[in-house]
Amino acid sequence: MLPLYLLTSAKNQPILVELKNGETLNGELVNCDSWMNLTLNNVVQVSENGTNFLKLPECYVRGNHIKYMRLPEELMDYAKEQTLLNLEQRNRNQKRRTGGNFNNNRRNYNNQGNRNGGHNYRRNNNNNNK
Amino acid sequence: MSEVPAQQAVNQQPQQQQGQSGNRLAPKVEDLYLESYAFTTAAAIVGSVDRKIFVLLRDGRNLFGVLRTFDQFANLVIQDTVERIYLDDENSDGTKDKVRRYGEVYRGVFMIRGENVVMMGELDIDTEDDHLQGLEQLPFEVVEKELKERHARKVKEEKLRSKKLLSQGFVNDFVKSDMY
Repeated sequence: MLPLYLLTSAKNQPILVELKNGETLNGELVNCDSWMNLTLNNVVQVSENGTNFLKLPECYVRGNHIKYMRLPEELMDYAKEQTLLNLEQRNRNQKRRTGGNFNNNRRNYNNQGNRNGGHNYRRNNNNNNK
Repeated sequence: MSEVPAQQAVNQQPQQQQGQSGNRLAPKVEDLYLESYAFTTAAAIVGSVDRKIFVLLRDGRNLFGVLRTFDQFANLVIQDTVERIYLDDENSDGTKDKVRRYGEVYRGVFMIRGENVVMMGELDIDTEDDHLQGLEQLPFEVVEKELKERHARKVKEEKLRSKKLLSQGFVNDFVKSDMY
């Protein structure tokens, strides 16, 4: 699971964001995108030296200003669950594909762009039956 | 597995060329180096997933934890992270202490934006704590405060340096966020 995908599953959970300038933002993650831009709710902004506190009802962070984020521990359990589920699903799909002998949902990358009207597919089928 | 012969074939060519050109300094070193990695650039850290790693950030932070996932920007997700600060033995007044000190604190799950990573590496969990033997552990807050003071002092010194250099027509390559 990629980091940014993991971040999407942290929605509605409290996170801590530290910006490159040392400021920290504590708040609930509302949304994020593939540039790591974030929107947060109920934010407490703390200045770099830790003396100034600011309460913001909502907040937008441009991704390139982020240094790091601290996420809730439970998120990793969730990620683990999801990857296991994915693996299971993939295994099941594979079984179905190899069990049934029809080749319909199998992509054949070898013949892409051939100019003989896909005449090769017959030979492939024979191979699979052996 | 079937890639191995192909890789060797690719690697042999430059070796032969090198032999002909008569480069006797460090022969074939780059081939040896590249062969031990399945990938180069960001994908090279795929072998460190689910292992204990160390990350140095641009602001000088030392993080230790288990690498869980990463992407092409070297964005890292690290679990069970511990942040550790090492203080070298130099005091503010220039005197030296007898022992080096350190402090550490548990931080949990980190997602680090790749831009801020200076370096990372895998740790040997058998020997990772050996170097702490001769060091004195202090509460994290104490060490953190001391480090902040040192950073502030460094920034001050560098500002002065920049001023002096600039007056002579030189540029001082110092960025406040680069404390590593």
